Amino acid sequence: MSNEHAVEMRGISKRFGTVQALNGVDLELRRGELLGLVGDNAAGKSTLMKTLYGSVIPDAGEIFVEGQKAALRNPRDAQALGLAMIYQDLAVFNNLDVAANVFTGREYTKRVLGITFLDKKRMYDESEALLSRLRINISSPKLLVERMSGGQRQMVAVARAIGFDATILIMDEPTAALGVKEANTLLDLMAELRDQGISIILITHRITDVLSIGDRVMVLKGGERQGVLDVADSTLEDVEYLIVRGRPDGSG
Amino acid sequence: MTANQTPTTRVESARARVRELMAHRESGVFLALVVFFVVMYTVSPIFRRPFNLTTILRQISVTSIVAMGQTLVIVSGAFDLSQGSIAGLAAMVTAKLWKNAGLDPPIAIIGGLGVGVLCGFLNGVLAARFRLHPIVMTLATGAVFLGVNFYITRGESIIGLPDGLTWLGRGLIGPVPALIVLMFIVAFLMHILLTRTLFGLRVRMIGGNLKASQDVGMNVERIRVGIFTLSGFLSALGGIVLLGRVGNALPQIGQGLLFPVVTAAIVGGTLLTGGVGSMAGTLIGAAIMGIARNSLVVLQLNIYLQDIVQGMLVVVALLIDQFRRGELTWRIILGRDR
Repeated sequence: MSNEHAVEMRGISKRFGTVQALNGVDLELRRGELLGLVGDNAAGKSTLMKTLYGSVIPDAGEIFVEGQKAALRNPRDAQALGLAMIYQDLAVFNNLDVAANVFTGREYTKRVLGITFLDKKRMYDESEALLSRLRINISSPKLLVERMSGGQRQMVAVARAIGFDATILIMDEPTAALGVKEANTLLDLMAELRDQGISIILITHRITDVLSIGDRVMVLKGGERQGVLDVADSTLEDVEYLIVRGRPDGSG
Repeated sequence: MTANQTPTTRVESARARVRELMAHRESGVFLALVVFFVVMYTVSPIFRRPFNLTTILRQISVTSIVAMGQTLVIVSGAFDLSQGSIAGLAAMVTAKLWKNAGLDPPIAIIGGLGVGVLCGFLNGVLAARFRLHPIVMTLATGAVFLGVNFYITRGESIIGLPDGLTWLGRGLIGPVPALIVLMFIVAFLMHILLTRTLFGLRVRMIGGNLKASQDVGMNVERIRVGIFTLSGFLSALGGIVLLGRVGNALPQIGQGLLFPVVTAAIVGGTLLTGGVGSMAGTLIGAAIMGIARNSLVVLQLNIYLQDIVQGMLVVVALLIDQFRRGELTWRIILGRDR
């Protein structure tokens, strides 16, 4: 097993009823790279990532995380291995502040007289430090998430994932609902995270996003891998051709 | 504030501070309370008598105590419509434990509180484990609790309660009525619970985003049971305080409690869809309702107007809430938006 890969997926297949959603798909995510995952609707992008995140169990295939064979039965198994997935429908709490969202599920507490109190100060301090380390532009960890823009909410979700010591980030269409400026800020953040050593898989319809910040791009079509291109020597046309026509040998 | 600040920046920083204040959900209702209070204080000499002001506080205390429990339930995204019946059952059990079982008043009170905890626990289990819809479920269990109450009392009152049972409702701590002190203690503790503890955070999480809460891996069932149990306890406490307010144990005690309780929470800014609400807001809501009711008396208006006023206040509170959340705009009201 090669050691340069944060994630390796081998021969992943998944059938839903009569639909073969994935058919023997391989994927390699190099450590510290940003891999774009593109393809038409129903190409199998989200299903593939759900198998990696443990929320879909594949019918066949193997998954290796950091060189170790992984048995992923649910997202918690994946999280324990340093994976974090940020979905389109964000699992943030709009009614809570930034710090509470960043520390969701692993709050700092202190017990006084048998009652578990929140250690708010510590959570505020550490979220502030985390936000500034990630260069996320949110003025205060005390801000309510409901007062934030879509892009800022995505960043809170990212901060939460990184705060959980995630080293492999899966982002599912993060820019789909954002305006141009916000999307660019988020892409900058993803590039920054990559530079800090986080390995990232970006599912997206916006191929130009991948071409602007990604290292490689993998194309899926009809549940099969069509190819992996190096961003440095690929054009938008190259990627689109693979998405629409599939592998040059015509088997896709 | 530094000396080289220009007047405009000073105005701006003041504006920013006002905006920050107004961002708190309680600010609006608190302002309404202050305005209402000042107006009544100015126009009515009877209103501003210390005795009258104490009366208002006494009148809102039972409502407030029970409403703290309701606020917790609503913030978690549910409702507890059985509170009035729990209050009544707990009060009657307390009286019967003293009268028929011959228990000392403090022990009888603990027994009554225990009944409230049990009723609340039952609600919690039905809501959490059996996944019943809380509105209809608590309506049903409320009917059961009321039925049990009338069954064990045969609908008969218990009169001549000892001081030990009525003290919470009519006793004094120094110059201050005990139930007012109790109200503030409950409000303070519930405020701490909701804002400072892990349990309170979990309550707000469940009410704000149930699916995400489950994904986090918290024990949603246990928290729900805790919420309803606490609601049952506070309902029972309210019922037992009512024993002293009324002076006798009437089986129908606690009936009519539910509407003012829910009203206090809603007027106080608790979001009906869950996730948002505060004990301070509920206390303010109860105070507004209390002053409204009192004004009818001191201005010598018909006291029977109180239901109308109360109902209208709720409608206004709901409208304000819709506006704040952007669900309602003038365009929609005027029919220009479809």
